[in-house]
Amino acid sequence: MFRRSSYASVAAGQSGQANAPVRSGAFAHLVNTGSSHAPSAHASSASHSRHHSRSLDADGHHHNNMSRSWGSSGLLPSCSSQFGYPGGYGGTTQDATPSFFVPSYLRGSKHAEKLEEVHTARVAAYREHRSTHSSNAASLSTSSSSVNLHRMSGSHRGLTHEIVERAPVFADEPVAPWPTKWNEADKYAQLEIEDSGRQAKFAGTQKPTDEAASVRADYPMPRQCGIYYYEVTVVSKGKDGRTIGVGFSATKIALNRIPGWEPQSYAYHGDDGQAFSGKADGTPYGPKFGTLDVIGCGINFRTGTAFFTKNGHYLGTAFRDLKTDTPYYPTVGVKKLGETLRANFGQEPFAYDIDKMVQAEKAAIQAEIAQAKADYEYSHPSDETSLIQSLVGQYLAHDGYVETARAFSEEVVEEAKSLSDADTDIPYIGTEEDLDAINRQKTRAAILDGDIDKALKHTTAYYPSVLRDNENIYFKLRCRKFIEMIRRCNELTAQCRPVPTPPSKRSTASTMGKRSSTATDEYDFEMELDEQLGVHNGAEQWDDPADHMDDEDDLEDKEARLAQLTQDCIQYGMELKSEFANDPRREVKRALEDTFALIAYENVRESALAPLLEVAGRVPVAEELNSAILVSLGKSSSAALERLVQQTEALVNELADDGGPGAFVNVRRDFLQ
Amino acid sequence: MSSSTVSVSAATPTQHPFQRKVDEIKPSKADINFVVMDYLISEGYPKAAEKFAKEANLQLPAEEESIQARVEIRKAIHAGDIDTAINKINDLNPQILDTDAGLHFALLRLQLIELIRACTSAADSDIAPALNFASSQLAPRAATNAGFLKDLELTMSLLIFLPADNLQPQLAELLKPSLRREVASKVNEAIMTSMGTRGEARMRSLIRLRRWAERQARDTGKDLPPTLPLGLQDADEGMHDANGNGEAADIMVQ
Repeated sequence: MFRRSSYASVAAGQSGQANAPVRSGAFAHLVNTGSSHAPSAHASSASHSRHHSRSLDADGHHHNNMSRSWGSSGLLPSCSSQFGYPGGYGGTTQDATPSFFVPSYLRGSKHAEKLEEVHTARVAAYREHRSTHSSNAASLSTSSSSVNLHRMSGSHRGLTHEIVERAPVFADEPVAPWPTKWNEADKYAQLEIEDSGRQAKFAGTQKPTDEAASVRADYPMPRQCGIYYYEVTVVSKGKDGRTIGVGFSATKIALNRIPGWEPQSYAYHGDDGQAFSGKADGTPYGPKFGTLDVIGCGINFRTGTAFFTKNGHYLGTAFRDLKTDTPYYPTVGVKKLGETLRANFGQEPFAYDIDKMVQAEKAAIQAEIAQAKADYEYSHPSDETSLIQSLVGQYLAHDGYVETARAFSEEVVEEAKSLSDADTDIPYIGTEEDLDAINRQKTRAAILDGDIDKALKHTTAYYPSVLRDNENIYFKLRCRKFIEMIRRCNELTAQCRPVPTPPSKRSTASTMGKRSSTATDEYDFEMELDEQLGVHNGAEQWDDPADHMDDEDDLEDKEARLAQLTQDCIQYGMELKSEFANDPRREVKRALEDTFALIAYENVRESALAPLLEVAGRVPVAEELNSAILVSLGKSSSAALERLVQQTEALVNELADDGGPGAFVNVRRDFLQ
Repeated sequence: MSSSTVSVSAATPTQHPFQRKVDEIKPSKADINFVVMDYLISEGYPKAAEKFAKEANLQLPAEEESIQARVEIRKAIHAGDIDTAINKINDLNPQILDTDAGLHFALLRLQLIELIRACTSAADSDIAPALNFASSQLAPRAATNAGFLKDLELTMSLLIFLPADNLQPQLAELLKPSLRREVASKVNEAIMTSMGTRGEARMRSLIRLRRWAERQARDTGKDLPPTLPLGLQDADEGMHDANGNGEAADIMVQ
């Protein structure tokens, strides 16, 4: 069982952090007898689902599941909250939401999105791992070292690697998780942590010699949230005591003292209603509190202040000038035996309307941003308009939207003219399409049509250095060509071997015969084929009268073509293989494996590799080639508008990292959608 | 096209750490196309929007319905034909001007400016139409609002100073085309809002966010390069007005 915890901490990407200890992991509930409704059945149900999860992963990975699953992750039923954030996989059944929660007030925030992404990637990596080791029943011991495994071994099938590799590298840019439970390893010894870490109880029979017993949560309150807030319910204040402290403290602050009395420890006390900041003398703050009261504690990192709430009422600012570089952990402390506190880190709705406070904060920031416009426009009235016109015009030209660029330029000029005497003010948006723009557009269009040969021909003819200097793009194009060939093979196969039509259709088909045929069986078959073609290919197919002169020939023709195409396909595959066989790069090997695996399926569309065939896969290849051509021409690979978005995101990130105003801005959600 | 094009690496040896963070961000083309389409539709570039829908394979948004009317209204205001503009706005939705007294006043004042401009252009022309318009249309509104009154007084003083070569700046502002542009864009926003959509193009919010974020970051002493150019100049040699262009890029630096 002990290996479990090492897995959990590795999974959390924070192995160096304070939560290294025993039993903090995903399966803590299995060994924790105190947890009454831990569904140990989950472990076994998870094992049954492994075969499903493989195809799910393949899908999810190619459809960018990370963002799609976002919406559904909101408030989880409280039972799933038993699995803390760092290792919630224990509860992942085939269609269950992974045990990851987003506190209501952080929904839609950039930080929550980042954490969600990290979590989803981890779940995918874990599931994928599990499914590739399906020979072992999901005994707990198999998965214990799972997360480490995928980084080292190189012998699995390509797809697995693909998924694992795409998971963000957590070490590079850790995304600070939020607290999920009380930390078993960071508590006063006589405190018992129950209910998967949500409840802390001063247990035992011995009257303790120390004056108090405190516990910290597993993670500090992340500054990147802007405002962080949690609540504690006083389940029982014990026989005769009520010195209960709720607040936050830095790591390593003594746990045998009530929070608030030590330096870097801040708390609101139930016995006198005072607020304590690092010393034994408090200041009058709020009402007293006791059994069944719900106490909330929040930090506004932007303003460096902290506040408390009682039973849903805001009690005002308690502390100011908090250090923004100290990580503060939610901390509670009690003095008497039997005293029990239950935390809500966002797994459940809060008593206080913290969402409203965060909304107000966001609105204030938005107003400030709007003000930036007013200030600016006062001194430069028309520059913003011309700046936008330049940005749009340049983007359209840069990305090869030639026709749009021309239409836009005309409309801008027309607008300028209608402002009668203003012609001189307005810069003419130059979109004289140079040859390059047209060439690039043609190349892009070819790839988007799946005509890779044409794209290669164009590129070699006009920009010979590009493919030479960008071998990876060349490689991708070559792989894409193979994929396109498989696509065509598949289409033809589907036409030659149509799925049987339902009986009702079959009878209509045979009664509306339009010509005589010798073999009825064959006749039926061909009619179905016609239907198939009609459905799948529509007008295009009917355009060619030769196709319908004799369907028998047509079918033979198709089969012949299919055979030829398959032959070509294999031929090309071998060429491709020999060309890149000696390439030492892992990603090349992997991509080749993936691509060649396509040929193994008669109907790829129903296989796990179907996403590779998606038409959408052409877009990134086209964009990459376009960028490479631009760079080869000495132009910037991205348009100014794109750069503007990049800079904006990066600047807002800077403003969010220390809990500043950027924490309340989600560029994509608030400004790009 | 010469094949000997030397591809120069964009990365300079002394790249600022912030620049690296910028480069790491990969905006989605779909988002950018969305912002562009939103801009074309909301600021009234119907032909470009149509072409863009085709070339980028996008749906034309629903706001497209009003686009023709909005373009015509914009044209009328830009050309100083306020009567036509007001009629067209009322055709579209009479509520817009009824509920926004400030906007209505701004339009009427623009009309007064045009009348004054017309009647002071020749020495022997009659200023009666301007006076009548002011007393019948603007004066009653100005009576209820101090800001309107001040604007009206200022506008009327044009009658005394025109024609003139050296107007004081406050008066010269009134004759500049930028005032028409400003009013036209306010009208456009009001129409968009009346249709239940965001009044302002996301592009404008985005630019403002960019400006705000940079100012905040510099004010709080974040480690940024001295300038953050957008690269409008190098990528588009077709721009005629290199000067205005450079300024545009500098705007973001501020």
